[in-house]
Amino acid sequence: MLFLEALAFIVDPANLLGEKGILPRLVDHLLYTGLSLGVALLIGIPVGLIIGHTGKGKNLVIALTGSFRALPTFGLLLFIILFTGLGLWPLVFVLAVLAIPPIIAGAYSGLDSVNRETIDSARAIGMTEWQILGKVEIPLALPLILGGIRSATLQIIATATIAGYVGLTGLGRFLIEGLAYHDYTIAFAGAILVAALALAADGLLALVQKLVVPPGVSRGSARTTHRSRWNFRPAVSTGTHITGG
Amino acid sequence: MPQHMKRRIIAGIAALGLTASLAACASGDPLGGNGSADLGSLTIGSQGFAESDILAQLYGQALAAKGYKIDYAPSIGSRETFIPALQDGSIDLIPDYAGNLLYGADPKATATSTVDVMAALPAVLEPLGLVVSDAAQAEDSDALVVTKEFAAANKLESIGDLKPIAKDITIGANTEFEGRSYGRSGLEKIYGVTGWKFKAIDDYGGPGTLSDLLKGNIQVADIYTTTPSIKQNDLVVLKDPLNMIAAQNVVPLFNKDSYSVAIANVVNQVSNRLTTAELMDLNEISAGDSKPSPEKVAKDWLTKMGLL
Repeated sequence: MLFLEALAFIVDPANLLGEKGILPRLVDHLLYTGLSLGVALLIGIPVGLIIGHTGKGKNLVIALTGSFRALPTFGLLLFIILFTGLGLWPLVFVLAVLAIPPIIAGAYSGLDSVNRETIDSARAIGMTEWQILGKVEIPLALPLILGGIRSATLQIIATATIAGYVGLTGLGRFLIEGLAYHDYTIAFAGAILVAALALAADGLLALVQKLVVPPGVSRGSARTTHRSRWNFRPAVSTGTHITGG
Repeated sequence: MPQHMKRRIIAGIAALGLTASLAACASGDPLGGNGSADLGSLTIGSQGFAESDILAQLYGQALAAKGYKIDYAPSIGSRETFIPALQDGSIDLIPDYAGNLLYGADPKATATSTVDVMAALPAVLEPLGLVVSDAAQAEDSDALVVTKEFAAANKLESIGDLKPIAKDITIGANTEFEGRSYGRSGLEKIYGVTGWKFKAIDDYGGPGTLSDLLKGNIQVADIYTTTPSIKQNDLVVLKDPLNMIAAQNVVPLFNKDSYSVAIANVVNQVSNRLTTAELMDLNEISAGDSKPSPEKVAKDWLTKMGLL
């Protein structure tokens, strides 16, 4: 049975190390994932927080990242390689392009979901904009921000298999070699490894999410209210609201 | 099976469209017909990439000029699809490549030189109801290619010259190269070239492979002999005197019932003039900025060669 043969391939110590071993390819796969996620976070988180906090440029960024999502990653990679040649950075670039939209969406919608009254209260008690962002908005938005990062990480891990086509390695090599030699056991083993890595990463991030989100805040509790900055509310009432809560 | 049928239906529709446009061409062509009566009609298939489309047009237009009525069924697909299409008479002729044709029909075949492959083909094709005419000199095979500078620095002419530097080189090719008869085992057994590193670049000798070769990330690349980048970058194709890489001469493949000596004579005139350099030029023209149709590329060449 194919599934059992693939499992046997994975647990066979002979396939663990060496040039074509599971371990070095796993390490490379994690390297590609880490670099791409790092670049995507460096761009996606600030952009998401800025538009989430200010509400400015929202439509433009959403339209832009929405159209990014429609880009076929492998096609984009081959297109870039036409100009740059093979290498690590074209891969990191296209994987970051893939991961930035969910990260921005998570950060933006996270901030957007924070109760306006809470923010107004923070402002009323004299917090600076940075303090509001860092001490009120981000902690309350964390479930959605981390949700975006989780989704981006899964997409990168699954898509980083294309690295194997362009002179790099990673777990995708098992899929490509399996298909090239019509050895479907190896291809299936590769698919299992990628899926297992994605599940493991998702589990780990779920754990992180649980640990860093402040008590009392969960995905359901931060309710979206209509943005009404120009609608003046008496500072006193919101102030009591926050001290009371 | 349903996919198979669907492909044929699509090919059929495409052929209908082309027939209509070609019929219009033929009637207005003063060179067409040679004054002779209708010699019958042939449907010519192609495999679905630019070079195959050009070859189909070369043979088709040369036959049309002699008075045959030609239909085209472009982009039929790979050998698994076009062999049955030939056998059931959906198409009468398709340009193929000698080595791949032989190994496809007889996986145990061992012939590699052009002479040996062509000698082995008739016996293998006979039971399938297929027959080939003369092979062209033009060959679209895998080739081990180096830059001019690297060849000069290491005095490289043929594949065997890689032996003394084998431990310092990286060969870039598609994943399956390593396991092929001309990969690790062939290079070691036939030329004693062993100890080289391998970099899998799965773009069939395309832009990625080329840029890595030019940058020196790899020293040897597997690039097809009719790829225009060889000429454009002054690359050196290493000679293969011991025929490690199977010959892939262009060879017209017929349904036996469609084949006649008269038809073969016309087709052979085209094959006899077609060299690897000529075919590379045709590919280059076809990929050029103006993106001329295979029909136009073929017509210009046949006119230049005086075959129309």
